[in-house]
Amino acid sequence: MLPSACQKDFLDRKPLVGATEENFYRTPADAIAAVNAAYAPLQFEADPNGGGVHFRWFWGDVMSDDAIKGGSGDNDGNQILQLETFRGPTNTANLETEWSANYQGIYRANVVLERVPGIEMDGALKNRILGEAHFIRAWFFFNLVTMFGDVPLADHVLAPSEYNLPRAPASEVWALIESDLQTAASSLPLRSGYALADLGRITKGAAQSLLAKSYLWQERWAEAEAVANEVIISNEYQLVTDYATIFTQAGENNAESVFEIQYMNASGGNYDGGANEGTFTSVFQRARGQFEGYGFNIPTEDFVQEFFKEGFEDPRLKSTLFRVGDAMGDRGIFTKDATGGFPHDYYPKKKFTYKSEDAPFGDVNVNGGTNDRVIRFSDVLLMHAEAAAQNGNEVGARTSLNRVRTRARGNAVGILPDITASGQALLDAIYRERRIELGLEGHRFFDLVRTGRGQAVLGPLGYQEGTHNLFPVPQSQVQATNGAIRQNPGY
Amino acid sequence: MKSFLPILFLLFAFVAAAQIPISGLITDAANGDPIIGATVSLKGASRGTISDIEGRFRLDVPDEDALLVISYTGYLPQEVTVGKQREVRISLQENSAVLDEIVVVGYGSQKRSSISGAVSSITADEISELPVLRTEQALQGRVAGVSVAQNSGSPGSALTVRVRGTSSIGSSDPLYIVDGIPVSGLDFLNPNDIQTINILKDGASAAIYGARGGNGVVLITTKSGSKNQAGKISYDAYYGTQSPWKTANLLSAREYAILSNEAHVAAGVTPLAEFANPEALGEGTDWLDAIFSDAPMSSHQLGLTGGSDKSSYALTGNVFNQNGIVGGDKADFQRYTIRASGTNEVKSWLTLGTNINFTALTRNGLPENNEFVTPLVRALNMDPVTPVRKSNGTYAYSRYADTDITNPVNAIDQTYDRWHSDRVVGLVFGELKLMPSLTFRSSYSVDATFAKQDIFYPKFDLSNDPVLADAPAGEKRAVNSVVVNNNTWKNWQWENVLTWRKVVAERHDLAFTVGTSTIESSHEYNGGANTNLPSNDPKDAFISNTIDPIASQSAYGGASESAWRSFFGRANYEFESKYLFSASFRADGSSKFGVNNRYGYFPAVSTGWILSREDFWESNLVNFLKIRASWGRNGNDQIGNYGYTTIVYSGQNYTFGPNQVITNGSVALTSANPDLKWETIEQTDFGVDAEFWDGRVSFTGDYYLKNTLDMLYAAPIPLTPGTAAPVTNVASVKNRGLELSASYRNRDRAFKYSVGGNLAFVKNEVTSLGAGGEPIFAGRVQSGNADVTKTEVGQPIGSFFGYVTDGVFQNQQEVESAAFQNENTAPGDIRFKDLNGDGAITNADQTYIGNPSPEIAYGVTMDFEFKGFDLGIFLQGTQGNEIYNATVRYDFNYVNRPVSVLNRWTGPGTSNFEPRVNLLDPNQNARVSDRFVEDGSYLRLKNVQLGYALPQTLLKKIKFEKFRLYVSAQNLFTFTKYSGMDPEIGAYGGALNAGVDRGFYPQARVLLGGVNVTF
Repeated sequence: MLPSACQKDFLDRKPLVGATEENFYRTPADAIAAVNAAYAPLQFEADPNGGGVHFRWFWGDVMSDDAIKGGSGDNDGNQILQLETFRGPTNTANLETEWSANYQGIYRANVVLERVPGIEMDGALKNRILGEAHFIRAWFFFNLVTMFGDVPLADHVLAPSEYNLPRAPASEVWALIESDLQTAASSLPLRSGYALADLGRITKGAAQSLLAKSYLWQERWAEAEAVANEVIISNEYQLVTDYATIFTQAGENNAESVFEIQYMNASGGNYDGGANEGTFTSVFQRARGQFEGYGFNIPTEDFVQEFFKEGFEDPRLKSTLFRVGDAMGDRGIFTKDATGGFPHDYYPKKKFTYKSEDAPFGDVNVNGGTNDRVIRFSDVLLMHAEAAAQNGNEVGARTSLNRVRTRARGNAVGILPDITASGQALLDAIYRERRIELGLEGHRFFDLVRTGRGQAVLGPLGYQEGTHNLFPVPQSQVQATNGAIRQNPGY
Repeated sequence: MKSFLPILFLLFAFVAAAQIPISGLITDAANGDPIIGATVSLKGASRGTISDIEGRFRLDVPDEDALLVISYTGYLPQEVTVGKQREVRISLQENSAVLDEIVVVGYGSQKRSSISGAVSSITADEISELPVLRTEQALQGRVAGVSVAQNSGSPGSALTVRVRGTSSIGSSDPLYIVDGIPVSGLDFLNPNDIQTINILKDGASAAIYGARGGNGVVLITTKSGSKNQAGKISYDAYYGTQSPWKTANLLSAREYAILSNEAHVAAGVTPLAEFANPEALGEGTDWLDAIFSDAPMSSHQLGLTGGSDKSSYALTGNVFNQNGIVGGDKADFQRYTIRASGTNEVKSWLTLGTNINFTALTRNGLPENNEFVTPLVRALNMDPVTPVRKSNGTYAYSRYADTDITNPVNAIDQTYDRWHSDRVVGLVFGELKLMPSLTFRSSYSVDATFAKQDIFYPKFDLSNDPVLADAPAGEKRAVNSVVVNNNTWKNWQWENVLTWRKVVAERHDLAFTVGTSTIESSHEYNGGANTNLPSNDPKDAFISNTIDPIASQSAYGGASESAWRSFFGRANYEFESKYLFSASFRADGSSKFGVNNRYGYFPAVSTGWILSREDFWESNLVNFLKIRASWGRNGNDQIGNYGYTTIVYSGQNYTFGPNQVITNGSVALTSANPDLKWETIEQTDFGVDAEFWDGRVSFTGDYYLKNTLDMLYAAPIPLTPGTAAPVTNVASVKNRGLELSASYRNRDRAFKYSVGGNLAFVKNEVTSLGAGGEPIFAGRVQSGNADVTKTEVGQPIGSFFGYVTDGVFQNQQEVESAAFQNENTAPGDIRFKDLNGDGAITNADQTYIGNPSPEIAYGVTMDFEFKGFDLGIFLQGTQGNEIYNATVRYDFNYVNRPVSVLNRWTGPGTSNFEPRVNLLDPNQNARVSDRFVEDGSYLRLKNVQLGYALPQTLLKKIKFEKFRLYVSAQNLFTFTKYSGMDPEIGAYGGALNAGVDRGFYPQARVLLGGVNVTF
């Protein structure tokens, strides 16, 4: 032991576990590890440093007229209640975590885009990795721009002197998203071009579909229709026959999966790790009481009635939510007593996991393994229909729309007839189809805002156009940048 | 060579002369009892002897000019010229003056009177008076400016020790040095082995420890044998029973049902059918009673000390056992220690020595002070309607309590969490006397801990019906699992110190010390886990003992290391024993510091003036008076091993493939900080030491100003960069304080007594949190669903922050005229103060509502002795601190409540403090507010001990040197307004979480009896 004390570099100790930035980013394996780390924030739900949780369904469903917060009372996730009733505080941990996860993802994508080009490796693989990073960066900016509008445009790894970056106009953010997605679409393989072991990686189709959605947001209908059509004619994606199978474990990454955030049931405790592989959504959305959940995202009666408006019960309803008397998988029959005495008539079903699918860990609230279906092929068809209808291509619009309805109809007779409407009625039919087909998948609030229907639909809940079409920027960010980041109007 | 000649001459002279045999008797001047074991030596010669059991001795002296030196610990030494006497009678005076005691300071020792810094001491007597498990407990209340609080009453739990306030938002733990060896934590040390504890409080005294001394230094010296001492065997033992001293008053089942019904109705929810007739439910279950029980505590110690004229030795063995008052043997602590020390004067110029301690300790642990899974928080919150057991004898589960609140008795039963460590702390040294005034000492020490943790999570199911599995998730576990963790910590240190001391011209006392220190520390860990074991017996809980050893098996491991290299020096100069000057300097290099700041430099100066030794001093009242001043710079290096570098972390995973394979991702999570360095602590101290009435009264006072600069803090950065804030040396904290201690002793007569007290005022203030000055929010509590502490510039660290209550709304008109709180706010809800006057209760209406740090901490000791009886009383307390009581889980609807809720508002005029009950609490009455902030001041009768020692006359007959029996009571009385289980709450979870009661494991009341035997 003693001799080492005499060495000249006695005080120079490098970490024994983990690489440092100086000795990393040298091999193809390092490049893959770097891009994998950029995927990880896709899964982030809880802030690793404590604080809030954020879910796509908080913003897409709870904020909308489709669902209410739920939980064990008003104090359980009270900030979400305040947001969904549009009395939103500006300093919610939930929005802070959302903002944080997005920028962590952007940082990690930026690291890939800056470090991987210098690594000596196979050109095709390098190209793919850079394409994945471009998509990931675009996805996080897409979340930010649709939620907050103008946001700091961190298009490179920021130096300490740049930490107080102010917000850039949304148009510049959209421009970066568009360029990133175009690059990604041109460098990424088709879904079928990936090895099976890479299932879950970003594909050309995912990039094109997110690009289509970006164009819709910007009302660039022609480009939206064109790029959505490219996805359709690529023949990479098909609607599966049975709508009910989409949301099961077996339905993960199925034929109509375009972009899906991967989760697995391999992690124990859930509230403290942003880097877990499982989703907390399963626990959050399960009923309380004997179902061992937190009972969040409770569907509204108004949402349920939408499924009956054509004079019959839309068959997709039973795959969307549980009603009293339904079996909640292998967890028991849904009665109000069994759910801890809460007076809710419905519970969400699309994120439901069977008890038999839980990982065998000691934690009672194990993370679920349900993938988050972010973009399904029916979404692409409906995006195509909407853009085509806006462009006057009503035939094309109806074709895509009715493809979705045909599948939903299945073998049933006399329900879900093909839509023959045109003009505004056709658009309304497409909007309505989105509400049903994509119900409780985190789309509704954003669809309402994007299509300008926020005031009409959510007004009675407190929504004010001009304020609530954007979320408040986390107040902590206004403070942390000494005001360089400004709050959204109305907050 | 000059100085050797007279010695040689003398030696020859002795050999040549004829010898005169002398006999003598040594007695205690106060009572005439013989003194056994006193050392009698011949001045100027190496000859000597020891008084026997009757106080007698025999010694041959060369001539009538021979000078006998008689000394005995605790008595003033006496010199006697033989003259014509052949039989000498010597009565020794007890030494009541503390001024001449030798105080261990860093890398040396000094006479108490010569010290110009602030150094406090605790003696073995004070330590042995309070039989405790951990040495830190012995520090409590003994020394002004050293505050100690239990982090938990669970046996073996760590304590929060602060020397002169909380000096950092990070670690404020002092540096512990045991016999020259820096150690982390004192749980290995048997308090009975301690001779003295000296605490270097001021910057100048601690500066010799440089970058590690900033939070104060606790120097512990263990007992050793002395030269020329006959072999002594001692046996010390005690056995006691611990019991809870307080219980909480909670609702009975009947009251619980009444309130539940009321809460349902208020919320518009149908009350539970089974509560229709509350009277029928009766008292229900007392869950606290169910988890508490009396628990034993015992210690046995065997010691052996002795020495010849060239060597000395000490050997002790101790067995300590303590069970917990919660959980019994599920929260027990066992410690076996063996300590061996010895020195040998190999040559007149060379002494070799060693000191080795081995400790084996085993601790079974229950979760402590959190709101989720501790037995305490469960017992406090579990509804009283549920019985502990069903009629068939198996544990029952609650139909009402939510998730975390499970049956605590079952939870304790299902806990298997055992920590075992074997630790060796040892040192060897050699001391060379190069010249009479020049000594060189080299020492090498090792502190190695090998620890293993075994955790087993058994299967269980409290369901009424095994098929339905109706128990809630927390009351059953379908699959068992096992976890094993191994940790090895190794530290070695090599120190070389050169000391030169000389008195020149009888007036100039000069001492110089220079030295080097080299330290290397390493930590290695590995562990594994497995699930689904076929056997549910904890004895079979091994990782490989499973059906499917591969699929569910996991393993992990890692290591870290650090190194120090230091150079230090000190000069002391004392002129005419009146003017004291001291200066020291240390350079510390550490691998923990960034490449741009690898070495830190820590200077210090101090001075003192003993006025009472001036010629002009004529006071008979004040026989000693010293004023002193010091300034020193130190550091706090408890900053993590690799804080300066950027690690690319693996484990940032994602899953790919049809089977969802976890695939590694790696990225740096923070940016690097090559400038990272120690936290600098600068301290100025002014002090006075005085003695009055021939030393009967002594007084010490100190005022200090302690500034922590360059405090490490990850000042928040915007989230935009996507990385965590790097830790930088940006923040600062100031502590100011006044310390007073005084004692009176009277040992002149048969009735001897002493009374002492110490008092410390400390004021803590954050002076900077970096450029933005963003406050730090921490200390999240579930009951209020928010943070309770805020740390901000201008405020003490970790101050409580929340809403201010303003009574209860008595009617609707009051609700409407007050600031808006919630649409459903109704009469009976709490009115919160609209501090900013904007007509609505918002986040902006929060303010500072309490301070967890005491303004005053104090201790009082009283000792009485009369004819063999001794009585010791020790009181200790704090004043001016608050506690945030977060033990009631208001975030759950069906938890039990303290009986205070019976005084709830039920109509106008019924209560202006306790709000109405409502299942949904729309007004958030349980939000973080001053409603839950309570006065945490307390005065505790920490210990009373009554002992009786057999008189010497009787001892002589049975050939014993000492035989003492005692009974003792700890925590007999506690005076406090705090409503929780225990007001003594440490900083569990760090400085930003101090004073938050989340279900604290209370300290026990201990009644014990013991024996001290020496022969």
